Amino acid sequence: MLGNDIKLAVKSIRSAKWRSFLTMLGIVIGVASVVITISLGQGVRQQLIGQIDHLGSDLITVRPGRLVNRDIAGNITSVNLPAFLGMSSLSENDFRVIKEAPGVGIAVPFAAVNGIPHNDSVEMPDALIVATNENAPAILEQKVEFGAFFSQEETTKEVAIIGQRVAEKLFNENVPIGKSISIRDRTFVVRGVFEGFQSSPLTPNTDYNSAIFVPYEAGKRVSGGNVQIYQVLAKATEKKKTKTTIQAINDGLLNAHAGQADFTILKPNENLIITNTVFNLLTGLIGGIAAISLIVAGIGIMNIMFVSVTERTKEIGLRKAVGGTNRQILGQFLIEAVILSLVGGLFGVMVSFIANILIRISTSLQPVITLPVILISIGVALVVGVIFGMAPAIKAARRDPIEALRHD
Amino acid sequence: MPVIELQDVSKLYGFGDATTVALDEVSLRIDKGEFVAVMGPSGSGKSSLMNILGLLDRPTHGAYELDGRSVARLRANQRAKMRRNQIGFVFQSFNLLPKLNVLDNVALPLTYRGMTQTRRLKKAAAMLERVGLSDREYFMPKQLSGGQAQRVAIARALISDPSIIIADEPTGNLDSSSSRLVMELLADVHKTGNTILLVTHNPELTRYASRVVFMHDGTIIGDERSKLGDVPKLAKSLYFLPRKTIEDDLAGVSVLMQEVEKEGPKKSKKAKNSTKQKTRKYQSRTKKKGTK
Ligand SMILES: Nc1ncnc2c1ncn2[C@@H]1O[C@H](COP(=O)(O)OP(=O)(O)OP(=O)(O)O)[C@@H](O)[C@H]1O
Ligand SMILES: [Mg+2]
Repeated sequence: MLGNDIKLAVKSIRSAKWRSFLTMLGIVIGVASVVITISLGQGVRQQLIGQIDHLGSDLITVRPGRLVNRDIAGNITSVNLPAFLGMSSLSENDFRVIKEAPGVGIAVPFAAVNGIPHNDSVEMPDALIVATNENAPAILEQKVEFGAFFSQEETTKEVAIIGQRVAEKLFNENVPIGKSISIRDRTFVVRGVFEGFQSSPLTPNTDYNSAIFVPYEAGKRVSGGNVQIYQVLAKATEKKKTKTTIQAINDGLLNAHAGQADFTILKPNENLIITNTVFNLLTGLIGGIAAISLIVAGIGIMNIMFVSVTERTKEIGLRKAVGGTNRQILGQFLIEAVILSLVGGLFGVMVSFIANILIRISTSLQPVITLPVILISIGVALVVGVIFGMAPAIKAARRDPIEALRHD
Repeated sequence: MPVIELQDVSKLYGFGDATTVALDEVSLRIDKGEFVAVMGPSGSGKSSLMNILGLLDRPTHGAYELDGRSVARLRANQRAKMRRNQIGFVFQSFNLLPKLNVLDNVALPLTYRGMTQTRRLKKAAAMLERVGLSDREYFMPKQLSGGQAQRVAIARALISDPSIIIADEPTGNLDSSSSRLVMELLADVHKTGNTILLVTHNPELTRYASRVVFMHDGTIIGDERSKLGDVPKLAKSLYFLPRKTIEDDLAGVSVLMQEVEKEGPKKSKKAKNSTKQKTRKYQSRTKKKGTK
């Protein structure tokens, strides 16, 4: 019976190809947007996890502003998204407090320097200029592939260690050592090129492949004597002391800020929580759009099925006359609606695979389409088919056989 | 032993001032193996009666026993199952599904019995052979002539081995030679033991019946058993009945009655020449319309 219903449904769907295709379109779009959103989220999360693995679980991040709220046990309860967009920064004094807090091994400031780097006429407006200290490679666990990083003594020297993208963009070569980059009225000589950084887009972490690292004091000079420390990274002398060190940094900063906790200390895995929050917001937004499109698509299916039921009234009458029960008639039309939306769902998954490839080619995002996502979205399509196919199927099942037979 | 037993069955349509009494306390008993022709002017309730007998409709009042089982109050589901197993329908307008080929159309009732496709198609092929259309298995309905379509419909009606065949004006859309083929087929089916209920406006066709029931205004006003091959006396004397309305005239009923009157006595000799006869009828009908 089921197999027969399916065959019949396919026949009827194929006999009105255009109509069926247009009806499916809504489901295709809805399912594709669901799959793409979820796969983007999962991709970003995986990239971030890779980065955390790389950086180690003992990295302490200090940021300005209160980004998260915590419960008494110290677990993040919520994330203050607007704080991410805030312009506040840490002061040099804050950095000193962190560096001198008991248990801190190394501490590295990351300060944004204003200015657009250029090499003759080639500009790179999307480059990030970071003023930092000699421990940056150590704390980022990143090797300088060509050349060398600057030393502690060179903090006023106008040299630059650059990410791979900067080398490509500004110099159009891999090892532009000895060449110079102009930032405002200053000229920095390229000293080294970093190995490729693992990037994790859409997270609070920056893509350092597009960064130019300069010594702290030199960077400060370019900016006219003031820089914005957007984060300080630190590590305890010993890994197992990380927790007490965080406590010490917290106490020191609270003291320096007159008791106000307008800063945030994050452990590496807590980045993930923030990313999740950002992503849940995005997912919710796109998910909402997808849900609306699925509802609209469902209504489209319902509409077409009502039309189909009316067109086939005589057929319904005949099927009843030869012994089809109400339930069998209902099944026939319900299955037709479900197949319509299931096929739409399959097309949607196909579209999302194509979109996945395009996204990977054209951006640094690496969406991941997993089996559960596919199954869930096809399940959603099925549910849409059942829900919106029910009313027309019930209408068909309830037709009076005589009236239906008389219909033309 | 009666297969069908109606007791004071009424069928009313609409309500209030607009109520139509389609059947007015009809009682009828039909035994197994009878071939009953039902006649009567348009609107006399023939189709209403067939719909009730075929379990497509419920009587408003009265009792209906099918195979000794009271069925007037059965639920839709149970009636569908009884239709599936016991009743085959043949309609005036064939009612083949246009998107299915001939073989699938014939096999259609079996899908509701959960039979596998191979068995269904095998049985359908056998049925098509029985109605002489084996070479049309993969034709679509619109590629068939009216007579062929009706034979396919008969094959479909027969496929689930029903004990009762209900044919409401099965020859209404056919020319006389196709009508003959269809009637011969029904007569054949009758010989294998089926009970057949045939609604017709053509008295000539009552030859195939073993009994003629005549209806008027929702009641049975005549019921006569006859030998197969004879036109019953009742059918011949139809013209005595009051000629109802202009509509009856337009439907050609009274014209047909007149034909019977005129040709009645000679008919037994001329019966085989039915094509010629039909043409003459047609001519007289158009003449009548022309004079109006
Ligand atoms: N669904 C309906 N609603 C209202 N009245 C109806 C309905 N079906 C039939 N009738 C009325 O019931 C009466 C009997 O109709 P029925 O169709 O049984 O006649 P019939 O003998 O089959 O006529 P014909 O020879 O034209 O087919 C008619 O007066 C008709 O108008
Ligand atoms: Mg009728």
